[in-house]
Amino acid sequence: MNCGLTIAERDVLQMKLREMADTMPPRAVWNRIEEQARAEGLLKKPGMPETVKWFTGFGLAAAVVLAVIIVPNSGNRIEPVKSTATNEFPTEPAYSPAADYMNTRQYQVINALMVQSQLLERDLRALPEQPLVRRAGTIATISGLQDRIAAIDYQLNHPESRMTPQQQEVFWRERVRLMDSLVQLRYAQAQRTSF
Amino acid sequence: MSKFIDIQIDPAIVKRAAGGDNKAHEILYRAFGAPVYSVCLRFTRVPAHAEDLLQETFIEVIRSIAKFRGDAPIGSWIRRIAVSKALMFLRSAWHSRGQSLDDDWDDVTPGRAESHGISRHPEEAIDLDAALANLPAVGRAVVWLHDVEGFTHKEIGGMLGKTESFSKSQLSRAYQKLRPMLDPDAVVGFGGNTIDGPVLGPC
Repeated sequence: MNCGLTIAERDVLQMKLREMADTMPPRAVWNRIEEQARAEGLLKKPGMPETVKWFTGFGLAAAVVLAVIIVPNSGNRIEPVKSTATNEFPTEPAYSPAADYMNTRQYQVINALMVQSQLLERDLRALPEQPLVRRAGTIATISGLQDRIAAIDYQLNHPESRMTPQQQEVFWRERVRLMDSLVQLRYAQAQRTSF
Repeated sequence: MSKFIDIQIDPAIVKRAAGGDNKAHEILYRAFGAPVYSVCLRFTRVPAHAEDLLQETFIEVIRSIAKFRGDAPIGSWIRRIAVSKALMFLRSAWHSRGQSLDDDWDDVTPGRAESHGISRHPEEAIDLDAALANLPAVGRAVVWLHDVEGFTHKEIGGMLGKTESFSKSQLSRAYQKLRPMLDPDAVVGFGGNTIDGPVLGPC
């Protein structure tokens, strides 16, 4: 059986067919897939993934270690509250200059980290949209960073987390570090696309 | 080589997806959604059908990825699911119209290439997409599977529930229809009998 095309024509056709660009599906399709898969019980319920739980646990542990290291070495020991002679319950908290100094310093650091984080968010928003064609490895890394940032935000904003300033500092520091990595990665991606 | 095979996925992502990890599945979708949708759209020509097939394909991926052994690239596994879904759709569409797959060449109205948006002049841009649209669905699918995805005639025949010869015959007829846009000097009759020009190659 002959082909209807010469070998050269067939080569040209095959080359042109392979060069044809892919068509992007509408954005809503993934939402439909996700909904159906959840309805059929094929996907895990949303919540903190294992890696995020691990990072959260690590963050909390680091905060505790930091608190243990910083507080005893601060040079000014916090005086225990003296009991009054009459054994009356104190109506005002006892003033502790050391604790006051620690809290002020801690909040300054946290504020600085928050500003740094906002600046990085602004840098991220200023970058062009992600290209349509992306490397799967980059997608995975970006997705992982976003997950970890989301987990930290969850911890920082959760009303029941009641973190100490030391713990908050650890979390904010980690957030800045992750945001910085994300901005650098997205910047590199944008650079690759522009060439 | 097929675009499906070119896309590299970290085995750790596949492993996470096999465990039902939503994010990993989303990564697979972001990587393979466009090639799957494109194949489905080329076969069906109807965006709504292509979207349905894309959804069915990825639901099947989510359902079955735990059974994926990793002997072949994940892309070729996803491609096979997509192609199988799309061909099943074509077969069901033809059956529901009471026709066999062989009949669909009769539906194509003969006409000049220009009337279907195909340029016969080399200096004009060749609208290959329009040329493919001018082919019957099964012929178009066979061209795509053979020339782009690299399936053999035996595999294509098997997927269509037909013989190897059926696939070859579909490809030959499709080539005859596509030839005018490749060689403006060649004269191709719709019966495919009056081809002038150089020696024709085997399928």
